[in-house]
Amino acid sequence: MPERIIQTSGLTKIYGEVTAVDQLNLEVNEGEIFGFLGPNGSGKTTTILMLMGLTTPTSGTGRVGGYDIIKNSRDVRRIAGCLPEAAGYYEDLTAKENLDYFGQLADLPRVKREKRVNELLEFVGLGKWRDVKVEKFSRGMKQRLGIAQALIKDPKIIFLDEPTIGLDPQGTKEVRDLILRLNREQKLTVFLSSHLLHEVQQTCSRVGIIRQGKLIATDTIENLSRGIAKEEGYCVEFELDKVTRRLIEEIKTVKGVTSVEEEGGKLLVYMERDNRADVSRAITKYGATILLMKPREYTLEEIFLRYYKGAG
Amino acid sequence: MAGMMTVFRKELSDHLGSKRFLILFAIIILLSTLSAYQGADYIKNNPDAGFLAIFSGGRLAFSFISLMVYFGPLVGLALGFDSINKERTSGSLSVLLTYPIFRDSVFNGKFLAGVAAIASLVGGTIVIMCGVATPLLGFGPTLEQMVSIVALTLLTILYLAFWLSLGLLFSVLAKKTSTSMLASIATWLFSVMIVSVIAALVASLMVPLPFQPLGAPENFRGFGQATQTEEYRSLMQARSEIQTNIGRISPSNLYNEAASSILGLRASAFFVVGGMQQQIRPSLAQGIAASWPQVLAIFVGMLACFVISYLRFLRLEIRPGG
Repeated sequence: MPERIIQTSGLTKIYGEVTAVDQLNLEVNEGEIFGFLGPNGSGKTTTILMLMGLTTPTSGTGRVGGYDIIKNSRDVRRIAGCLPEAAGYYEDLTAKENLDYFGQLADLPRVKREKRVNELLEFVGLGKWRDVKVEKFSRGMKQRLGIAQALIKDPKIIFLDEPTIGLDPQGTKEVRDLILRLNREQKLTVFLSSHLLHEVQQTCSRVGIIRQGKLIATDTIENLSRGIAKEEGYCVEFELDKVTRRLIEEIKTVKGVTSVEEEGGKLLVYMERDNRADVSRAITKYGATILLMKPREYTLEEIFLRYYKGAG
Repeated sequence: MAGMMTVFRKELSDHLGSKRFLILFAIIILLSTLSAYQGADYIKNNPDAGFLAIFSGGRLAFSFISLMVYFGPLVGLALGFDSINKERTSGSLSVLLTYPIFRDSVFNGKFLAGVAAIASLVGGTIVIMCGVATPLLGFGPTLEQMVSIVALTLLTILYLAFWLSLGLLFSVLAKKTSTSMLASIATWLFSVMIVSVIAALVASLMVPLPFQPLGAPENFRGFGQATQTEEYRSLMQARSEIQTNIGRISPSNLYNEAASSILGLRASAFFVVGGMQQQIRPSLAQGIAASWPQVLAIFVGMLACFVISYLRFLRLEIRPGG
């Protein structure tokens, strides 16, 4: 049983009449990259703010690294680094000066701070830019500076709120590689919020899907995908040398087949249970040749949309 | 107070290195030095005036006091008006607050850094003025006058700190720096100009003067005579009382009165001794005692702005982008 680094129970935040986060029960294990997935305005940022102690929950509790997020929020902030959404820095200070200031706020003694600032600037690839004012930085550079900032207190966990938003593909890749390296080399737990499925799929070991403040699913990506498959029934993708209407009708008559869809020259055959043998026999009998046959896998996008529609 | 000293040091070095502060500092040093020359000149012609006259400058309009009355608010407001909302919009505030510090350390650190910057500006200016005036006059302040100078310094710092906390209040209340800047300019104009205009207007409406036909030369003579009557004088007295009282809602006027009291200009009045008008200079203690109500009013104003903005800041919802 891995250690739980984040655990919340019934965490709720109400702004006026809007319930931003609704009875959230979340568990994140130490050492994993947890993807917190949801559309804009679904409560991701609010959850992070509550976990970091920047806003008080209306009700419910939570613990980060063993510290209560309300009573010991300062201790949480000692062990958790955070790159907030739309984070900004002191534009008229250099990268080094910015990090040095944050290091002071994290109570690092001078010698250690200097060493750490230089290490981190190298780590995020801003070594050359250390004495350049932040106002000259590109968005991608600022975001990498933000990651360095989140790491300065040598945290046990870092929260990254939409870390690749507004970055070009190159910048996105750099940030993603940094996250993966941190997790692999330093065993750092990463809590990453995003609305970009593709990003989450490439980095996260486990995801939580949040919709209108409610957590509607948490699992590994494979399990979520399998869950959908079970609900949808079994689906096999066939690629044939020729497809005709009659062939489709033919397949539909095979026992257990519920529906057949044609999608870009490929056939998607839905069945109640695995009945590939009968289907392929029918196809061969008809005179067509099977070029490719594989069970259908769901992309994260499909899972995501499915959860969105399904839970409504 | 975890983090307060860190915030304080950073903000103070920001202030002292900022173009905004350096420009204001340069203007004030320049004008103050000029006014010290003028003051020294005045003292040479009026041997009774005493060293402290370098700050009031005698008849010359441009004195240290009037400089502070008019430009002082700009210094305080300039240091405060975008202190919080700039960091809110840029997003550095939300980063700052993810550190293990108390939220009030951020606010207190910023306020104290502003006060420290003000203190260095006021202190520096006054020291330079004394340094310019002493060799010109050939004598320095007496011990009692030095205490007066210290009291004037503290009063000026308090007055500018009031404007600083007002600026901070605007920066907490308004999300945009342009809004808080306009609010700052508006209150500045209100305090240094509009209040006096309103006060004069109200006073003249409340105490109308008797009709004085003008035109023929004899009427002018009549007018001149009319102003000498007891009735006329009491009307003018009533007017000026109303005007002074209304004027007191302006912190600038309060500062002006308090500073004049400390320098021994106001409470002195003119005593008629043996048919000769003679100025009796009050003692330092009397001067400070006379300035006390104004000092207290400025202090209460500063405290009120500070407390309101402090409480608002603690409850601020840190949402990205404002």
